[in-house]
Amino acid sequence: MRESVIMKIHYGTALAAVALVAVHILMRLTQGFAESLEYDSVITNYKFLPYAGMLEIILILISIHGFNGLRVVLLELKQGRVYEKAVSYSCVVAMIALIAYGSRTIIMVNTGMV
Amino acid sequence: MTKQDEHKEGIGGMINPRRYGIERIAYLLMRLSGLGLLAYFIGHIYETSSILKGQVGWNEFLELTQTNEGHAILAIVIGMCVFHTVNGIRVMLGHGGVGVGKPSRPDYPYDPASQNIRHKIGIYSAILLAAIATLYGLSVMFGE
Repeated sequence: MRESVIMKIHYGTALAAVALVAVHILMRLTQGFAESLEYDSVITNYKFLPYAGMLEIILILISIHGFNGLRVVLLELKQGRVYEKAVSYSCVVAMIALIAYGSRTIIMVNTGMV
Repeated sequence: MTKQDEHKEGIGGMINPRRYGIERIAYLLMRLSGLGLLAYFIGHIYETSSILKGQVGWNEFLELTQTNEGHAILAIVIGMCVFHTVNGIRVMLGHGGVGVGKPSRPDYPYDPASQNIRHKIGIYSAILLAAIATLYGLSVMFGE
């Protein structure tokens, strides 16, 4: 994929993540901060499908943005065909692993497996 | 002994904040805050997965994070998040050609048109807003 396209994705995921993370943080402040972290409160949040869906989208957006950012930082440090491919593929694998791990939590709690 | 080319200093040259003014400091803070936020995000995903262990597992993990040290780390994360967001928007606008000035003939002393007062204000605003957000976060977390 062309770097110009990757940077557009990088900026797009950033803007979308800012908006959704703001909602995520505001949800913490609708109750007291400590109260919002209580087990029952968190479970209720996860079981509310629109909110769980938003968490999933945030997870995907930030994973893409974060690991692409890491890729960019690592490519600024060193260049080379093998190195660049190794960094790019490692970041994609790490991104997929994190999305899978986070999705597992969201899906299991949302579907009542906890 | 020959002087080493500054472009071959590796990580040391990349993180040296003493040259090129506030723009280099913004560059450094952007990368540090980005890496810090990625580390926090991975930790946050792992932390929230403890809810799968039930109420006991969740409360045990909360006991680890809801401490003075945990709150201080979270306050730093809030500051990094605000700086990264505000400075990121400045960078995006700059890449889009907003606020970088008009192209002109390069004359001595060769001041880059893009490193102008508008972008410097953007960088200082990002630092100021990050500091305010950090203090607000501390007041919320330690106020309870």
